[in-house]
Amino acid sequence: MMRPKKLFFIITIICTIFAFDVFSQNKITITVYGDEGQNLQPVEWLKTDAAAKGITLEVVGVPFTSVYEKLKTEFIGGTGAYDVVIFYPSYLGEFAEFGYLQPLDSLFSIHDPKMDDVVPAYRDLYCMYNGKTYALPYDGDVLNLYYVEDIFSNEQEKAAFKQQYGQELQVPKTWDDLAKVAKFFTRKKGQKLAGKTLNQDFYGFAFLGARGFAYAWWANIFGSMGGAYFDRNMKPQINSKVAIDALNFQKSLMPYCPPDVMNMGYEELKNAYLQGRVAMMVQWSDVWKKANDPKLSKIVHNAGIAQMPGVKQPDGSIYYRAATPVGRIIGIPTTSKHPKEAFWVASMLSLDYGLRSVTSNDTGEDPYRLSQINNPKAFEKFGTIAEATNYLNVVKDNLNHLFPDINIPGSAEYLDALDVAVTSALSGTTSVTGALNTAADTWNKITQKLDPARQKKIYNAMLDMWAKHGFWKD
Amino acid sequence: MANLDKVLTLERRERRFAQLVALPGMVVLVLLVAGPLLYMLFNSFFANTLAAPIPPRFNWGRNYLNLFDDSRFWNAFFNTMKIMVIGIPIQSVLGLIIALLLNKKFYGSKIVIALFMMPVMITPVVAGFEWKIILDNHFGPLNYILGLFGIQPLAWLSKPTLAMASVLIMDTWQWTPFVAVVLLAGLAAIPRQVYEASSVDGSSSSETLWRVTLPLLKPMFALVVLLRIIFIFKIFDPVQILTGGGPGIATETLSVLTYIMGFKNFDVGMSSAIAVIQLVIITIIAKVFIGTIMKPKEAK
Repeated sequence: MMRPKKLFFIITIICTIFAFDVFSQNKITITVYGDEGQNLQPVEWLKTDAAAKGITLEVVGVPFTSVYEKLKTEFIGGTGAYDVVIFYPSYLGEFAEFGYLQPLDSLFSIHDPKMDDVVPAYRDLYCMYNGKTYALPYDGDVLNLYYVEDIFSNEQEKAAFKQQYGQELQVPKTWDDLAKVAKFFTRKKGQKLAGKTLNQDFYGFAFLGARGFAYAWWANIFGSMGGAYFDRNMKPQINSKVAIDALNFQKSLMPYCPPDVMNMGYEELKNAYLQGRVAMMVQWSDVWKKANDPKLSKIVHNAGIAQMPGVKQPDGSIYYRAATPVGRIIGIPTTSKHPKEAFWVASMLSLDYGLRSVTSNDTGEDPYRLSQINNPKAFEKFGTIAEATNYLNVVKDNLNHLFPDINIPGSAEYLDALDVAVTSALSGTTSVTGALNTAADTWNKITQKLDPARQKKIYNAMLDMWAKHGFWKD
Repeated sequence: MANLDKVLTLERRERRFAQLVALPGMVVLVLLVAGPLLYMLFNSFFANTLAAPIPPRFNWGRNYLNLFDDSRFWNAFFNTMKIMVIGIPIQSVLGLIIALLLNKKFYGSKIVIALFMMPVMITPVVAGFEWKIILDNHFGPLNYILGLFGIQPLAWLSKPTLAMASVLIMDTWQWTPFVAVVLLAGLAAIPRQVYEASSVDGSSSSETLWRVTLPLLKPMFALVVLLRIIFIFKIFDPVQILTGGGPGIATETLSVLTYIMGFKNFDVGMSSAIAVIQLVIITIIAKVFIGTIMKPKEAK
């Protein structure tokens, strides 16, 4: 006969184990995947709200340029390691087409993400596939032209520019004007700039030249010259005359760029501008916020932002296109064991934490909702209401003139081949024509490898969507 | 006669028992070593992409033909060769000089050797990061030091030639100590009597070096060169961290390209073909080295 004390002890242990099991079954862990660093900060903010709902958030961060490969590896393996995935829209076509992501429309009732509030082009091109919603927006990346305001308004500089070029010094609206202004402002250490003696070399322009997303800086020029990635028959257009002209033009800007421009990623390019080493650069929208933070910048309230330069048309208008490399959207893998909770997390990040995210310097997120773009008050901490309004107007304008990334199966490989061509030609490793011909050849091989008929069908559907938003004309 | 038969049977039994005991080990070895190699070889003959759900197709060696026609493959091949052809002689000469210096016994020589080995012990990823900082255009100490001598800052990682030079500098920094230590072991193994005999014959120091030390070090040299060739074929992490293969593809090596093909483009067939080509080249080089330079000389 067991002693009562011993019996009580055993029963207590069994009850504890049972209670712990029940408790842990009620707790749900949602694993969020994304590129590590500042862009996962909103997930950290959400942890408290999630805990109140019995959801534990775990974060898996990967390097900025490795988002595709790590995620694709997981999708091929199908282990269900992630419940919420934050990735770049250029991969949406592939992930949705091959069934890695689940359609989200039926989950909207859990927590309405208010998709009508999303910038229409962003919603239709980057969140939807085949008429279904596969992702929610998280970061409205678009490239903009930045400049240092006070050197453009300096009387001495204005007079010198007029004398040299016979025209007013203005923020360039065309690529030709940008080349002139970039050349004008490129100065050596010891020379004067806006009345001050330079203690280091100063450059007129800078772009992102490091491998990964450098193709997009070329795409701004290519797009504004009327370029397209493929024609309707999937014949690559990246070695067309327009493509070659665009790359030759970008290469002609090299003497006015810092010598390390080909090693400049997001951070290096941002710092060159924030530390006042360049007159102009092309960058993502979040840099305006960082430029107005005294802890980070030497050009506080001196950071100008403008529409992407373009090409003057015969009627006098300017045709310009702004590329959208990166951008971030949130999807839910088909292998997620908790799709409802995962959707709640995704929707909270996209909607409830959206405004905080795009108005914070702790993140790198940019506006993607109409309610954010039409809310200059929320951005007042970075400047006056007039400055914030101008910033949002420029971002809106560039979002309305997108040159979207391709988002068909194989996008990562297509864009990598293009990136190699652009960076090889700019660094002088290969000729411009040779590099683009090689890339076009690689694109043909990729298309052949991935089923040409399917690729053509998907690309044409994408072009139709571009046309609907005025980004494409047959 | 009967006794001899008995002995032979016993020997045969023992051999069979030994084979039986070795069998599990052999099976594991075949599964772990030959298995993946054969699988890689098998894959290299298929159009096999994981990027799309398309079944693999046997393509009659077209992966190899495509590679030989691919300028990016040849670029990676020649970049790997550049590191080898420029890097190994520099590291060998420096390694020899250092080994000769360390071979002279002095106070604290053991600590110096231990400190000297640190670059070899550092993880390649850390070495890559370290050199990325050292070579930074604006904040890097190397450009600062050059500036003290009136030399303009150099964009080490942005210009193709300088970027390749940076990879070579980093590789030399990391692997020269390895060369030195292997040669030092070789020097220590040379019998003192040989030097004494050379001294008795009235040889000068340089004559001793050229006629005694270097010939006796030849097998060690061959070993270290062979190992360095194998290591350079495998060089990945420091290049990936330091330059990412850039600018453009100026520093992309065969290993970096294999990774891109396999894990960025998910082209299993092509990445396997590159890996097989590397394996064949390394095997041929190793065979040449082992069969000629490292072959022990037969006694006359």
